[in-house]
Amino acid sequence: MGSIVWITAAVVVIMIIEVPPLLNNGMKKELWVFGILLLLAAGLSIAEGLQLGIPNPLDGIAVIFKPFRDLLFGLLK
Amino acid sequence: MQEIGKIGVRQWMILVILYMIGTTMLIIPSSLATETKQDAWLPALIGIVAGLLPVGLYSSIEHLYPRMTLMEMNEKVLGKGLGKAVSLLFAVWALIASSQVLYYVGDFMNTHIMPETPIQAFHIIFMLVVIMGVRLGLQTLARSAEFFFPWFIALYLGLLLFISPKIKLDNIQPVFETELKPVIRAALFFLSFTSLTLIVLLVLFPSYINKPGEARKAFFWGSLISGVMIMVIVATNILVLGSDLTARSVYPSYALIKKISVGNFLQRIEAVMAGLWFITLYYKIALYFYAAALGLAQTFSLKDYRPLTLPLGMIAIVLSLIVYPNVPYLKQWNTEFWLPLILTIGLIYPLILLGVGACRKKLSGKG
Repeated sequence: MGSIVWITAAVVVIMIIEVPPLLNNGMKKELWVFGILLLLAAGLSIAEGLQLGIPNPLDGIAVIFKPFRDLLFGLLK
Repeated sequence: MQEIGKIGVRQWMILVILYMIGTTMLIIPSSLATETKQDAWLPALIGIVAGLLPVGLYSSIEHLYPRMTLMEMNEKVLGKGLGKAVSLLFAVWALIASSQVLYYVGDFMNTHIMPETPIQAFHIIFMLVVIMGVRLGLQTLARSAEFFFPWFIALYLGLLLFISPKIKLDNIQPVFETELKPVIRAALFFLSFTSLTLIVLLVLFPSYINKPGEARKAFFWGSLISGVMIMVIVATNILVLGSDLTARSVYPSYALIKKISVGNFLQRIEAVMAGLWFITLYYKIALYFYAAALGLAQTFSLKDYRPLTLPLGMIAIVLSLIVYPNVPYLKQWNTEFWLPLILTIGLIYPLILLGVGACRKKLSGKG
């Protein structure tokens, strides 16, 4: 549970740093992308903190590139 | 305008050198020695020469679309929808790649220098410095690279000087014993960690450099110099440790530094020498991360990439903790999947950009 407190604190600090200048300059689109990314970051961090087992992106890459790998290393064997 | 400052040609060359040496110097000797034993310097030499081809490819893309970043090229060549999708994929890949390098920092610190500190601590602290650098902009990064470069060279030459008494020529004999296919495999592997990763630098080359013509030359020289520096380290590894020990360690170059003992007096300087890795790893992570942040901002046509750096940094830290569950996984993934992945991104993708662009130019010229 301790990790959630720290992650929330980090998110709050990031918002304090970034949100006011974005609002003042009226950068709405930037604010949207920033918000979505921050939400994603917080979600991922909490999932990692609670050890929920986030799927590894490298496993995904491995599945996609398996045919190419077989072809490549078949040629070089 | 997302990035106002431009960097000089010399700064650009230094960035190329530091970026390319990055992780390579630390880990590649082991993979090369696994494939080709005592001939490991040979695929490195082939890799340097062959590595000029991708550099030439990237330069000619730049020639076809002058003053454009990779994301703008995507949109121009592949159309708006597909171009944006490709840019987004590229940015996501750059973020994953930066977290992969970040893992090396944590794992290296954890196994060799501070084993009782949790690995997260290294990742968070290192990433904070990276975010700081990227937020300050490319000019600051380039200037700091210029500042650190003499230190880097001094450490590098110091390493070679202090280790030279330990060289045993027996270790590389017999020469040319390996067959052709392992050499090709190892050379491709060398390429996959050096020249092919330079595609990432296309997000800033050459639109952010003040003299594009000279930048192209500096690009060639930078990749050549760093290639030679890596080859010398590979050869030194084999000469001092022997191919067997080199192949078996995860970070052979660190094992190499541990051997330094000049007159039984100058010993155990590996922590100082580890500065070599921290400097180069920093620029490797920073440029990957910069590419991710800038690429994402350009994909969504945002005015500034800086607001994205902190959330992206958080994501990169989480990713760095999950990408490699353990070192055997790392070795297996790097030998099996990194090569096809980087061949797709660093060779096939720019070839498509070049081909489609050239066709369009011809068609529009006729019409």
